[in-house]
Amino acid sequence: MNKSGTDIQFAICGSAGDGTIASGDIMKRAAAAMGFHVIAFDVYPPEIRGFGKCISRIRISSEQAYSLKEQSDVFVSLNDGHAIPHVGEVRDYGAVIYDDHLIAPVAEGGHISAHIRPAQIPYGLPIRQISEQATNAARSRNIVVLGYVAGLLDLPAEAFRKVIAQKFASKPAVVTESNIRAFDAGLEAGRGVFRYDDVAVGAAPTAADGEAVMMTGNGAIVRGFLEGGIQSYFGYPITPATSIMERLAVELPKAGGRFLQTEDEIAAISATIGAGFAGSRAATATSGPGLALMTEMMGLGVMAEVPAVVVCSQRGGPSTGLPTKTEQSDLNLAVHGGSGDAPRIVIAPTNVEGCYRCAGMAFEIAEKYQVPVVLLIDLYLSNRYETVFPSDKNVFAPKPREVPKVKEGEDYKRFVLTEDGISPRALPGDAGMMYTATGLEHNELGKPSDVLHMEMNAKRHHKLKSAVNYPGLTTSKRFGDMGKVDVGILGWGSTFGEILETMFEAQAEGISCSAMKVVMLSPLPEGELRAFFDDCKVVLVPELNYQGQFANLVSGAIGRPVVRLNRTIATPMPVAEILSEVRRLAAEVNEPVAAAAGGV
Amino acid sequence: MNERVQPVYLEDKLEEIREDGHLKYRSKSLPTWCPGCGYFSMADALTVALNRLGLDNKDVVVVSGIGCASRFPFFVNTYGFHTLHGRVLPVATGVKIGNDALTVIAVGGDGDAFAIGAGHLPHAARRNVDMTYLVFDNGIYGLTKGQTSPTSALGFKTSSTPYQNGDMPVNPLLMLLSYEATWVGQAYAGRPHHLADMITQAIEHKGFSFLRILSPCVTFDKTNNTYVNLGMKVRDLPEGHDRSDRLAAMARAMEEDHPALGVYFEEQRQTLGEVMQDAIDKAQGMNLAPKGV
Repeated sequence: MNKSGTDIQFAICGSAGDGTIASGDIMKRAAAAMGFHVIAFDVYPPEIRGFGKCISRIRISSEQAYSLKEQSDVFVSLNDGHAIPHVGEVRDYGAVIYDDHLIAPVAEGGHISAHIRPAQIPYGLPIRQISEQATNAARSRNIVVLGYVAGLLDLPAEAFRKVIAQKFASKPAVVTESNIRAFDAGLEAGRGVFRYDDVAVGAAPTAADGEAVMMTGNGAIVRGFLEGGIQSYFGYPITPATSIMERLAVELPKAGGRFLQTEDEIAAISATIGAGFAGSRAATATSGPGLALMTEMMGLGVMAEVPAVVVCSQRGGPSTGLPTKTEQSDLNLAVHGGSGDAPRIVIAPTNVEGCYRCAGMAFEIAEKYQVPVVLLIDLYLSNRYETVFPSDKNVFAPKPREVPKVKEGEDYKRFVLTEDGISPRALPGDAGMMYTATGLEHNELGKPSDVLHMEMNAKRHHKLKSAVNYPGLTTSKRFGDMGKVDVGILGWGSTFGEILETMFEAQAEGISCSAMKVVMLSPLPEGELRAFFDDCKVVLVPELNYQGQFANLVSGAIGRPVVRLNRTIATPMPVAEILSEVRRLAAEVNEPVAAAAGGV
Repeated sequence: MNERVQPVYLEDKLEEIREDGHLKYRSKSLPTWCPGCGYFSMADALTVALNRLGLDNKDVVVVSGIGCASRFPFFVNTYGFHTLHGRVLPVATGVKIGNDALTVIAVGGDGDAFAIGAGHLPHAARRNVDMTYLVFDNGIYGLTKGQTSPTSALGFKTSSTPYQNGDMPVNPLLMLLSYEATWVGQAYAGRPHHLADMITQAIEHKGFSFLRILSPCVTFDKTNNTYVNLGMKVRDLPEGHDRSDRLAAMARAMEEDHPALGVYFEEQRQTLGEVMQDAIDKAQGMNLAPKGV
């Protein structure tokens, strides 16, 4: 992260119904339209109504950022009761914007102004009054504050007006007009007000990377699926995967594909496997509880060698758990879930761009290896917005299928044992190659038989080996200091953004530090992992689960000790926590006595 | 009685069967069912029906669950998918959606259909997936060696109901009629020619066709659904039965003491494939924006 350019985080906090999320949405779209990199993540309650807390945080930067910052530069309260516990996240000299003309009396300590630290800069304004004067109603408070921020930071107002017009395009014109009036009134109030110079947005970077599109992880998965030639989708609603289903319900028929909401997750994966057997590029998406139901059918996909793509967006668990909070605790289920030795491919992108690329390639990989592919993401990745630069559309377009050839008079051996373990696959409709796929152990013809169980097990495992070197797919990547380093940070999934930010901070402090992300969790890129462990005096694995599931997977696979940092805090991993652990380890490895005591 | 019956010679009969052509739908694998099992006549009836309809082997997929009946796909020379216990209907739905040109035949037993897989029945039926579901109903779990099933009679003693079965049996025909299935019929393994006719009609029906086929389990049920008992109980649906009348079909379905064979109900309704094509057509015309993120 280049510290000289723009890097500002805006946060707005309110109660469900205040328009908090909508306000954040306009802010991030306007910033993206100005040409900035944007990362945004909303926190909202599981209840649809009921005055729960909503927070929208948006990081706007001129260079690519990898996670939200822990400290916001500008913070807006639309509801002091919800905002007071969060006002501490505003950095020194940062702005706290709130309504100073409340119409109802508040109890002692009930007003946010009583909680602003001396170093924070308070900006009280009559938000409700401005809204009422501009629109005759109080419900545009969320737009007034946007105008105020735009005025305070000298942001181009036209970008906001355009996004507001787009947002309310489906409503009567008066709605747009009144919101623009609210915005302009806020803008007027914010202009020329004193602020510190570093609470500022500089010039946007020149758009060298092509057309930026802002999307969520779920949106990116849908875009990847569509470009990857998805033909059928089967789904059942579950937070946080539902928006994949809702978006495909609209977009898939436009692309000539077939969409079905099934009766449960078991039916969703069953139909996905059925369609995959028939040769259709089929997918489903769910969360941990749904994946738990799907594991038996995924085992059939492994045994019968049927391609399928399954998205699992993790939330807090076990059981119904924390439906609207992020966690990384379904790794074991995704990698190992089900009966028997059932190897499958598990890909865990680390950012929104990765969601797009992995989803784009998922069908091709599933078809090549004839196996279910799990795209393992989490709520933080599903729902957060990032600016993405999509590639040329043809990158993920399906390639023509090779129909297997059978010699005249010979039987087609669907599961013939080959060098690389991959057997040419016929599809229903191919002449002369009728076979029956089965979940029973079978011989090369596919007939039930246990004679070749050892060989078939070896085949199913061996065929996946080359997936770690799949062309065009980043299955692991190292960042930061190369060669021998003191501290290595190893991570997976959405937490890797925080890991990268930590690494930059540690390097800035002079710590010899390197970070590595592992995108393919099954099969593991063991060679790359060994090399990383060879180079690092100590390896730290931060992840959002209690058991250290990734740490267990890695240390089990390559037999090296790791230091764990496990948090189940219902939020993304705080950079500060990783950083303090990195500092401790760096000090330890440079003190021989302490190093001998530390470690595993 | 004194009339002399013309002798039938095995060689002639074999020649006749070969010429008929339905053997090309038989696979090289020999069925693994017990000698005398009712499922043999079902396997034969399906090959006769496929032959009658002139379907190309490569365009037919037989999907099954788990159980004695579900071993079926291995014995027919078409594409097959032997799946998981109870999941035959959603997998078959996926196959049909995956490639609409295929003729999809789902096969399973009473445990697969009415116990573990019962949750999928209403949805395949109400969606009117264009496929045929053949349920081989012998009222017992055969592959696990003789436990009670959802269609086992009250009082039936099995290894899992050693004192007696106290669970009221389900009425499969009544279930499917109320689930909005568009074709509901019943046949009996002991009447193979009628069975072949029924399977032919079921496959010909555009939409979800459900055929319950009564069969004995000669190994684990010596008292209940035997050839003798079933043979005495079954009868034909009366001549005047109106197969467009769902209520009349339901009334007939409730006469369980004397199960009637034939087509209970038939109607035409938009199939799932047509509904999906409709969505594709509509989507081209209107530029609908996705909701939310």
